Amino acid sequence: MSASRTKYYLDKQNAKWMGVCSGLADYTGIDVTWVRVAVIVLTIMGGFPWTLIAYFVAAWLAQPRPLGLYDNAEDAKFWQGVRTNPKRSAREVRAEFRDIDRRLSDIELYYTSSNSRLSREIDALR
Amino acid sequence: MEDILVPIMVVGMIFVGLPWVILHHLTKWRAASSLTRDDEMMLDGLHDTARRLEERLITIERIIAADNPDFTPRRGLADPDAENDPYRRSH
Repeated sequence: MSASRTKYYLDKQNAKWMGVCSGLADYTGIDVTWVRVAVIVLTIMGGFPWTLIAYFVAAWLAQPRPLGLYDNAEDAKFWQGVRTNPKRSAREVRAEFRDIDRRLSDIELYYTSSNSRLSREIDALR
Repeated sequence: MEDILVPIMVVGMIFVGLPWVILHHLTKWRAASSLTRDDEMMLDGLHDTARRLEERLITIERIIAADNPDFTPRRGLADPDAENDPYRRSH
């Protein structure tokens, strides 16, 4: 059974320190630089002990992301979309299926209606 | 008697009732917006199927277009850069 792709993981591959910020960036799809800048700014602007505590609690609770969780970049992007809005992802998959259906019906139409070459070949076989 | 009861009730409402209501709605909201394990696997399967179907369809469209010059497949959702994706899984 594969690991869940809707969980929060520490991203050790792109980690600067313990992978909490890069994990958050991977989870939400926000650029990792902005996450880090936001955390640092929050720490300076008065959240001093709390952001650090939250950082360590997150680092302690979350597991590192398993290797090979996503097959490719497109897959990673898809699951990022699922995490933020599962309904929209479901609609996108449905749209993909509809697109495939439309193109298949194009092919069907092409072969059933105006295929002169096919009829020529059939004539040649007679 | 009321001098004792009213503060106790107020404290109870603030420290028990309010967090309870908030947590209740938070858990409900989480359950509504997040996917269950089965949903996730189903979505994964559907997405995978759609991708593979699309790949096959592109192959078939290419074959037909090569055989019949007058057949022009309409461009679908597939982006032309997909084949240059270095992460692409080989089937």
